[in-house]
Amino acid sequence: MGKRIGVYVCECGTNIADNVNIDRVIEAVSPLRDVAIVEKYGLLCSEAGKEFLKQSIKEHDLTHLVLAACSPKQHEMTFMNVCQEASLNPYLLQMVNIREQCAWVTSDKEEAAEKAIRQIRAAISRVRWHVSLEKKEMDVCPDVLVIGGGIAGIKASQLLGSPDRRVYLVEKSSSLGGKVKGFDKLFTAMDSGSALIEKEVKSLLGAQNIEELTDSEVEQILGFFGNFEARVAKKGENGERNLSVGAVILATGFDLMDPTGLPQYGYGKLDDVYTSLEFEQMNMPSGPSGGKILLKNGKTPESVAIIHCVGREEKGYCSRVCCVYSLKFARMLKSQLPDAKISQLYSDLCIPGKSYQKFYEETKDLGINFVRAAKTTVTQNTKAVAVKYEAENGSKGELAVDMVILVPAMEPSGDTNRFAEMLGIPLDEEGFPVAEHRLLGPVASSVEGVFVVGCAQGPKNISETIVQSEAAAGKILSSLVPGRKLELEVRTSEISETFCTGCKMCISVCPYSAISFDEVRRIAVVNEALCHGCGVCAATCPSGAASVKNFGFPQIYQEVVELVR
Amino acid sequence: MTPTRKGTIYLSEGDVEKGVLDFMKQALSQGCFDAVLIPTRVSAGDSVAYSLIRDEALLEGASPLPPIMPVQGARAISSITRRGKRNKIIAAVVRPCEARATVELAKLGQANLEDIILVTVDCPGVMPLADYFRSAEDGDKTFRDASETWDSEPMRPVCSICDKFSASGAEDLHIGTLGAKSGTMVLIPSSGKGESVLSKLGLSMEDDISSWEGGVERLTQERKQKRNESHNGLRSEIEGIDRLLESFSRCINCHNCMRVCPICYCRQCYFDSDKMKFNFEDYLTRARVRGVLKVPTDTLLFHIGRMLHMSLSCVSCGMCEDACPMNISVGQIFSLVGDRNQEAFSYVPGRSIDEALPLTTFEQGEFQEVEQSHSVFSVKEKQNG
Repeated sequence: MGKRIGVYVCECGTNIADNVNIDRVIEAVSPLRDVAIVEKYGLLCSEAGKEFLKQSIKEHDLTHLVLAACSPKQHEMTFMNVCQEASLNPYLLQMVNIREQCAWVTSDKEEAAEKAIRQIRAAISRVRWHVSLEKKEMDVCPDVLVIGGGIAGIKASQLLGSPDRRVYLVEKSSSLGGKVKGFDKLFTAMDSGSALIEKEVKSLLGAQNIEELTDSEVEQILGFFGNFEARVAKKGENGERNLSVGAVILATGFDLMDPTGLPQYGYGKLDDVYTSLEFEQMNMPSGPSGGKILLKNGKTPESVAIIHCVGREEKGYCSRVCCVYSLKFARMLKSQLPDAKISQLYSDLCIPGKSYQKFYEETKDLGINFVRAAKTTVTQNTKAVAVKYEAENGSKGELAVDMVILVPAMEPSGDTNRFAEMLGIPLDEEGFPVAEHRLLGPVASSVEGVFVVGCAQGPKNISETIVQSEAAAGKILSSLVPGRKLELEVRTSEISETFCTGCKMCISVCPYSAISFDEVRRIAVVNEALCHGCGVCAATCPSGAASVKNFGFPQIYQEVVELVR
Repeated sequence: MTPTRKGTIYLSEGDVEKGVLDFMKQALSQGCFDAVLIPTRVSAGDSVAYSLIRDEALLEGASPLPPIMPVQGARAISSITRRGKRNKIIAAVVRPCEARATVELAKLGQANLEDIILVTVDCPGVMPLADYFRSAEDGDKTFRDASETWDSEPMRPVCSICDKFSASGAEDLHIGTLGAKSGTMVLIPSSGKGESVLSKLGLSMEDDISSWEGGVERLTQERKQKRNESHNGLRSEIEGIDRLLESFSRCINCHNCMRVCPICYCRQCYFDSDKMKFNFEDYLTRARVRGVLKVPTDTLLFHIGRMLHMSLSCVSCGMCEDACPMNISVGQIFSLVGDRNQEAFSYVPGRSIDEALPLTTFEQGEFQEVEQSHSVFSVKEKQNG
């Protein structure tokens, strides 16, 4: 059967009709080879328009379709569905954007018609070379691997575990709970973190289909959204477990920056200089001092300085929760040692949020000394620790205290690099995984099916962390539905075995890790489940071995020849 | 000047070729490697070909520094190593440009250097094939005389402007002759493999080799200047599409330049493939648009395509120009384009196997000046200004 190409020009209400001489376009395009019908229509994307198109495709027995209308970004899917309904393979459709690229960029109706004719001619020429493609679907595994058993991992697991979805919660230490487990008091309600975590962990026990893998490390993750394979090893045991999951949540939390690298704070050299996490531990009833705030010599401190922003300058970012928990520290100190003199040396107070201002004012009223300080140093005095600083007005100040609490910057946990490499996620300048989109995709990573939540993604407090865990769980619940198949990109890259000479250039440029090397045949091979059809491989391959379906040499060549002639 | 290197002063008798062969024989007999890949005179005596030699006695007939380069050594090494390691060590005696091309092919997955020891010798250049074959006997004499005085006049045009005729980092072991005292050569190891050869032979690597370094430095500076002048002159002849078309107007589409190029590694050249054969009506359309169409078509496109695909790895060996039956200055043109492209990426082909091919890496901030000059805003500014 010969080709029967249908060309439809959409007036897009008045958008196109007012700026392009459509009748002239129709006259010019009608006599072209294989063109069976050329018609214009008011608004093709309307219900009536779609019905008209469907009937017309059938009536004229069309084999290919060219729609001169808006951007394919807007309505290609709409019209592909129409093709499907009219039993025409949707990949035999080519859209021509005569709205944004033509009608909207000129005020001369005749010149616009000239351009539209050229564009449509090019599309007719190209669509002739299109081939029918079939939609592909893939079975998916609905199960989820959650890495990190802190509050972020626990909350995501609670939401995800269900009779038809298994969650593997992997924690490298011996018990769940993460950092929060070690906090005796949480701001601003001053309730117990360990009690809160205990409750959450208990609720996991009762939840369905959640498997806790403590003392375990994830050693390898291969695969792609819907079909990951993870290898998990348990400490001190031989053998590993291979888990099949459809999505991965990275909830590996944070570490504190080690202040020994900043010698001006005396950490590691002076007896009573502590980090914030060490102070938290001192306050735990289960801790070495039974929850008592004590100096190394066993005495109680009479004066304490809390130094904010340790390492902020070096890191280049604000860790956003330290100011508030420093206020919490002041309260903890005051409640145990009402007579102690407490100073907060801050550079900028960062306490946004609806309950924090009140918390700050109440803390201030307890008689806490707030000093805006710069160039702070900590040295040993004869009896006490000397904290020297430069005040706001430039004058030099000095405090003699018994105890110093440093508030260091939060940094990505030590495992972040390993996981980023394993999963193929880029890191930002600060060393945290890059989000899919800074504003629009905060919990998704650049790798489909891999989510980064909580402090693994950047410093944040507990409720912000939980918001992210719930967001990631929501994304997984809506995209990885048990029993439903995943639709794959159809216009993928293909690599010709005849032309490929195995130089692997395509492998090094593929942003989706979708190409691998077949050592036996010594050629590159595309994994169609991973390929997004971006075409970088095709542009890189000097042999012309790689090409994207329906975006290959014949289609593009024919299109360009018509555009430029 | 690069920091002073250490090496071995090696006593040699006779000419450079004999010195190199004596050394290679000694190393082969001491088990430093299992075989030698080396240019050898063909039986008729008037040409050379690469031979893989395992028998020490047969090395006698080899010619490590022949007057011509009928086959680029990188192609020879690629053909025997492309399918991976074989656990036998082969020492390949090649010219510096051949070693650099080999490293590029290794990066492109077309050669495997694991079992190869690249040995290079200070290179006086090679003669154009056509000049040499007028009379091989005269050619041999011309080459011998010219190489003794480092006169590049009778050599390939790109050899006479070559500034990478000595150790380049691509090789494992370099044999220096330039500026070396008579009766000696210097052996400079550039890798662990090169060092292990010298230590196996019990040679010291602590000798002062500054006289060779000085000789290389002087000639390098001289050649750099010559290369610059030559490229500047050539640029004015080929710049712009019209002059470029003119430069290649004699081309007969034989594609010899591609076939002998060490870097052109495609299994089949795209320009030879069916993808570049169009329907009758396509040709008619093109003829109608311009009124006339030269057939076969796309002659210049082939050369531009090759520039696009291989110029970042081009080592200016001049194989293409030697193989051109129409005397097009294709080697000189490619060396100019190659230099400019490589400079843009701060890339030196063959410098190091660990240096990634420019097209496979992305650096934040590279080519910002290009981005800026093409951004919508700057175009608008230009229009307004």
